Amino acid sequence: MDIDDILREVDPTLHEVPQEKRDLQDLTRAWVAERSAPELLNWPSGELFERINDNIKRQIERVEEMTGDMDPKTNFALIVIQTELERFKYLVRSYLRARLAKIDRHALHYLSTDELRARLSDMELAYATRHQALLHNHYLSSFLSSFPPALQNLNDTAGNIAMVDLPDLESAVFIRLLADSMVSGRGVDTDNTFEFQESDIVILRWSDAKPLIESGRAELV
Amino acid sequence: MALPLPPGLTQPEVAFLAEMELVTIVPRQRLESIALLSGSTPPLRPPHRADLPLWLALLLKKQRRANIVPPPWLHPTSLSEIITRETKDNPDAFSDPPPPISRAHPSQPGRARRLAESEAGLSPPFVPSCTAEAPAGYLPYHWLEVAEALLAHAGDDMPVAAGEVRSLLRDLVEVRAAKMRSSTGTLEMFGGGLTSLRGVGAMELAESRGFVLGVVDGVRKLGASAEATRREEEEAGGGQGASDDDESDEDMGL
Amino acid sequence: MPMYGDLGNKLVQHAKRTQNLQHLPAYQTELVRSVAREVRDLDREVASLLEPFQDSFDPAAEQATACTLLVNHMSMRRNKRCLLAYHRTRTDKLEELVWSGSDLLDLAGQQAGPGAANSMNGPGDSNSSSSLSPQEEDYVRQYGDLLAAYKGHWTDIDLTGSLEPPRDLFIDVRVLKDAGEIQTEYGAINLTKNSQFYVRQGDVERLIAQGYLQKLG
Repeated sequence: MDIDDILREVDPTLHEVPQEKRDLQDLTRAWVAERSAPELLNWPSGELFERINDNIKRQIERVEEMTGDMDPKTNFALIVIQTELERFKYLVRSYLRARLAKIDRHALHYLSTDELRARLSDMELAYATRHQALLHNHYLSSFLSSFPPALQNLNDTAGNIAMVDLPDLESAVFIRLLADSMVSGRGVDTDNTFEFQESDIVILRWSDAKPLIESGRAELV
Repeated sequence: MALPLPPGLTQPEVAFLAEMELVTIVPRQRLESIALLSGSTPPLRPPHRADLPLWLALLLKKQRRANIVPPPWLHPTSLSEIITRETKDNPDAFSDPPPPISRAHPSQPGRARRLAESEAGLSPPFVPSCTAEAPAGYLPYHWLEVAEALLAHAGDDMPVAAGEVRSLLRDLVEVRAAKMRSSTGTLEMFGGGLTSLRGVGAMELAESRGFVLGVVDGVRKLGASAEATRREEEEAGGGQGASDDDESDEDMGL
Repeated sequence: MPMYGDLGNKLVQHAKRTQNLQHLPAYQTELVRSVAREVRDLDREVASLLEPFQDSFDPAAEQATACTLLVNHMSMRRNKRCLLAYHRTRTDKLEELVWSGSDLLDLAGQQAGPGAANSMNGPGDSNSSSSLSPQEEDYVRQYGDLLAAYKGHWTDIDLTGSLEPPRDLFIDVRVLKDAGEIQTEYGAINLTKNSQFYVRQGDVERLIAQGYLQKLG
């Protein structure tokens, strides 16, 4: 018996948030964060998207089964189910495309180290690798193959001019504190550390916000 | 391009998010539980109230299957009180957001602590701040979107004429828009790296996001070399802050 | 005699212009070739400058040569960046078109803009009026396959669907003119004048546009 089980016995309300509801919360927060952060965030762990994708598939099958049943009661349930289904599909679609846009824009960067590659899902990694290969091939066949060999690669940084485009990790973001926290932010004139309260909305650089987001003390808004 | 949208939620996206807020309805018809992706809806039995996400409540309302109970903060007395606070008591800041749920039980410290754990990481639109149980006198994060949706589709469920609520809301929008504009004064001070907008609403953020972040990023880029110099000096001087003279010199350079 | 880098600048200007255009202007075959040739010329010059020194070039002792070498290196790299930027701007545009569902025929048929010189070509002469290079046509095909493969993992959510948040999936409509029977997911609905229905917006959009139905609320 672990601590969660003990707590649940003491207070049954503790874990009453059901999985489905938690998944929607996680999906929604992942979507808001990915739409707001200047760089690609981690692909969620815990099979969140596998679960959501399976549920969407099952729900679509249910809609198909219920369709044609002209009982007005079923009919209204069907309207509700389909409306919600569209909302879920939109969330997943917008989330995946926000990620793809970042991956496309800075593919060489996200493919450059194991740590960065680990942020991508397997499918995204396959997509990014192949996309990059297509681009490189395209450059080669269009002009690069006529270059001297030393100039044919795409990630050289000689002369301090990087060919790899990097996301701007210093761009400003809005965050909301999820717990009272000390927040440090670097500015042009001074660097500051202030105590902020839960629910506070703060503007700061993404690089300063990132540790707070990763530790769950704040979220992007 | 996979996503032709700027970073940060757009206004339609914020409105979509706000439709996940829970609101309280009074069903006019029985409705059995529906197994949704986000969990099963409660069975609806008139006249027992139930809390549902706004999008579903609006669907029921449009079908005349339910009435929506406006959240207490949307009542005219509450709105007037907030306007007074925003104009007279504290004309420079947005009024406070609703108190966190975890602190709502000060008399039961043990319970509050555990709630804090179970609610940890929960935030709008997933904390109930627009239900009939929500406190009056505080604007929740999605106040404007929820208020507009309710006025547009459930105006007849308002305790007073919808026009009265609408006019108070308009006043509030204006008072707060002026604060958002004047906060750009603070943004120019972003030299300090942290700016707080406590109490701001989601739609208000979305409306001014491009401008605000543009100013902040602009200040950073213009001051990049000054900042780099300051950091070098601080490193050399053992962490001493740059003097005021240095700063004003750099400002002149911009 | 033009300075090294002038041609590269031209390419960047083309790329900048392309970003703001709805259509894709004609591929600058000649310009691309010239900029690439410039890189090879510069590289040859570097090689011939270095040749007398074998492997023992000392920049401190040969400052004038070192300076020329540096300029040549910078110019080559600049040209490379210009070429990359030009091609990347165009592939971005091509990818955008693939996402929006255009196929290669739509793209290849694009003129280089209204009133362009190649509008002299007769209609149907799509090869000579294509604004895409043959390499770009290959790229569109391959990227289309790649996108289809990725989309295939997410068939249920329709990855290329709308990025506008869904609103009013179902709407109330009033029938203005008898429109007979239509098939919806819930079976047939008989649209007789003055009747009212709650229907999926997508099922009746055409009937609304044609004036048979009126959207309510």
